[in-house]
Amino acid sequence: MSIILTNLTKRYNEHLVVNRVSLDIHDGELFVLLGGSGSGKSTVLRMIAGLTTPDEGTIELDGRDVTYLAPQARGIGFVFQNYSIFRHMTVLENVEFGLRIRKIKNNDRRRRAEEMLDLVGLAGLGTRYPLQLSGGQQQRVALARALVYQPAVLLLDEPFGALDVKIRAQLRASLKEIQRQLNLTTILVTHDQEEAFELADRIGVMDTGRLIEVGTSETLYYQPDTEFTATFIGGGNVLVGRKEHEWIRLGTAALPLPADIVAMDDGAPIRILFRPERTLLQTEPFQARDVHALGQGVVIEQIFAGAMQRIVLEMEGLRGVRAVAPRAVYGQSVTRIEVIQTGARAAERNYALGQKVWVGLRDFHVLEPAGLKVLLCVSQDPSGSLAAEMGSLLAQATHGSATLLHVVARSELVAPARAYLETLRRAYASRIPALEVRVRVGTSAAQILLEAQEGHYEVIALGQRASAETGYRGLGSAARQVLEQAEAPVLLAQSQRASFKQLLICTRGGEPGKTDVAFGGRVARRADAAATVLYVQTDQTTLEEQKRAARHLLQAEAALSVQGVRSKIKILDGGIAESILRQADADDADLIIIGAQAPRGRPRLRWQNLATQLVGSAARPVLVVPMNE
Amino acid sequence: MPIPTARKSRLPRGAFPVGILLAVLLPLILMPLASIYVFAARSGWQGFVNALASPEAQFALRFSLLIALLTALINGGLGTYAAYVLSKYRFPGRDALNVVVNLPVAIPTVVVGTSLLLLWGPIGILGQFLAPLGISPMFAPIGVLLAHLFVTFPYMLGAVKPVLDELEVTYEEAAYTIGASQWTAFRFVVLPALRGGLFSGALLTFAHSLGEFGATILVSGNLAFRTQTAPLYIFAQFEAGNIEAANAVAAVLATLSFALFFALMRFNKKGARRDNV
Repeated sequence: MSIILTNLTKRYNEHLVVNRVSLDIHDGELFVLLGGSGSGKSTVLRMIAGLTTPDEGTIELDGRDVTYLAPQARGIGFVFQNYSIFRHMTVLENVEFGLRIRKIKNNDRRRRAEEMLDLVGLAGLGTRYPLQLSGGQQQRVALARALVYQPAVLLLDEPFGALDVKIRAQLRASLKEIQRQLNLTTILVTHDQEEAFELADRIGVMDTGRLIEVGTSETLYYQPDTEFTATFIGGGNVLVGRKEHEWIRLGTAALPLPADIVAMDDGAPIRILFRPERTLLQTEPFQARDVHALGQGVVIEQIFAGAMQRIVLEMEGLRGVRAVAPRAVYGQSVTRIEVIQTGARAAERNYALGQKVWVGLRDFHVLEPAGLKVLLCVSQDPSGSLAAEMGSLLAQATHGSATLLHVVARSELVAPARAYLETLRRAYASRIPALEVRVRVGTSAAQILLEAQEGHYEVIALGQRASAETGYRGLGSAARQVLEQAEAPVLLAQSQRASFKQLLICTRGGEPGKTDVAFGGRVARRADAAATVLYVQTDQTTLEEQKRAARHLLQAEAALSVQGVRSKIKILDGGIAESILRQADADDADLIIIGAQAPRGRPRLRWQNLATQLVGSAARPVLVVPMNE
Repeated sequence: MPIPTARKSRLPRGAFPVGILLAVLLPLILMPLASIYVFAARSGWQGFVNALASPEAQFALRFSLLIALLTALINGGLGTYAAYVLSKYRFPGRDALNVVVNLPVAIPTVVVGTSLLLLWGPIGILGQFLAPLGISPMFAPIGVLLAHLFVTFPYMLGAVKPVLDELEVTYEEAAYTIGASQWTAFRFVVLPALRGGLFSGALLTFAHSLGEFGATILVSGNLAFRTQTAPLYIFAQFEAGNIEAANAVAAVLATLSFALFFALMRFNKKGARRDNV
């Protein structure tokens, strides 16, 4: 029995618990949904069972749409983490319950229930009451009870979560065997990777309501697409290199660029994953052709863990290379990597702390590029196509992805809007091959904000039409609302630029100022752009504020240089808006990045707000970064 | 066998504080209780039996038992249903309703009687429409029942709702996934889990109904052979100076109440032991 989920979505009080999950589970497959707590995995399972009603999307069981069918009519077996076996019934009565409801004759019922108890390894315990059983036995009863009426699908919600390690292992083995024997399509939800690896035919990794990636254990472990999977599953080293002709440059080391990597510009960031146990250590430099040399490192930590030995090395040659994992420790200046030595190698070679060793990789894996995810809010007018133009350019520059969104007022306008988006998609296909298209019905601002939240977009691109008015008055009502409420930065595309090579980051002193510097740094790092960090002091600026600003600027410069961004700092005197425009002209900045303050509980933008003063008057794209005080 | 706990054995022996407590309790509680039986014994066994055998006393006792039984049955059903709805469903005004259904405990029973009269009485809000039809719920057995239902409503709820609140929803959900309808799930999964609560709730309701006085005296009109319950009979006989008659029924009522009370205590103890297995 196959299970097909399409765009399954569930909200609790406007909070997205399950976000457009689409999944295809094959006949007889044991599929594991793996994720941390709050990832939405259990909600997906409950929706398949009919215990929770989805807000959007469909569920198909064996070609039959069951999205709104009652749980009783779905023919599924469900096993709960807390067992939930009926305490006032004996084991046999519990198992028979499903058959009694189906009005199976007494003799037949007894025989089938006893067969099932035999199958789960509880033969002879039928007359006991649940309280006389151990946790593991109770869960076996729950399994028998869910299987006895021959359901088409078996769903298990963290079934072994409440059991101790030894019992868990036994139950896993039994489950796998029974599932094979009955060839039963099964979905199991767990947060335990080891469990997922041991049981699953395929694993779906979930995070914050989204299905991040689906694959076999081996694929997810060695060749994950996403950074999330690479760091969530198993220990791993994820380093960010740059493309350099046919190579991936990592400090002084260079790894050959795999042939199947899609075309990328030189200098584009490339994230590589290598597992600690796929690394080699030796005291002499590597000569072998099938080993990729990573350079020399210093042993700074060595932990013996039974069958294996975990070693942490500081790689002088990788200085300045950003490591996604292992996470940099505070105050660490040299990139660290983790190595695991197993078997005889671990026993024979014992390295001393501080010893220099050569590190080689047996293999490594390139993760999919993760640039900015940009939402292009288009409409069928010049300003709307400007949003598509500049937004897609930003996505391309940061090696990211983008979605074209068109909001229409009525549902009969959906088809023409879709056709229009299709022409845009073809036009920008060379820029972003995987450009997606979405049409929503409703009021523009509300739908844009909803889409931005649900799709986890990092930038919302809005077109700003040419208008005689400047400042707040120049903004359309939709743009005002989006600017006031969006949690993601908003790109106001008000003129065309050929590229994003020079950024102007306008900042204030102090803590809130760090938000826009950090985001500007991200854009600059991914787009390989240079940045100017600008602070404007007016007549009202006190000496204390000036000192704080100076400190802040130095920190900003340091933070940017750690990210590998070329930057300079600048302090100007005079009116804030005029000074920003003056500096933008001097640099010929392609993008002005400015923070917008959100005073607690009040709308973020007032008409006198600085960010809006740049509307119209600066004929350059403005990126407004929301900041919370 | 009860095992003396460490805490108990560490307590000091105190003849003096115990003495004071007994000295207070004696005139407050113990002596009044005893006096019922002392008086009952005074006129001898024959006098006691004769007093009980009077048709009026017989009616009052039987009527009281009947009303208590009906009250326990009806409120048993209603209270369980109310507890289920309040415990398992979310709806606006749920908290307010939770307070309302428990309100009868807080209202003086005389006020309950008055309010029932003002609703159902011959000039009451609803009663005035019924009076021309010849229907009069007040000063009739049905009025007594209404009063008892009102006064004892919270007891069933209080016994059942905590059990329902504790019962995780997954038990019912498990039944649904197995294929049980909502009713089947309730009948075979929820109800058996409620057995203890149902029993002690019904017992409490029964006992309170048996002793109800304040509301009953107002709505019943205290009509012998029609609406007179045992407590009303005791009151009436006392007023008429027939102490012996009053005392005999009082002794029976007290004994019944003791029996119910001990039954409840034993049951609760057993329940607690069973849950600890």
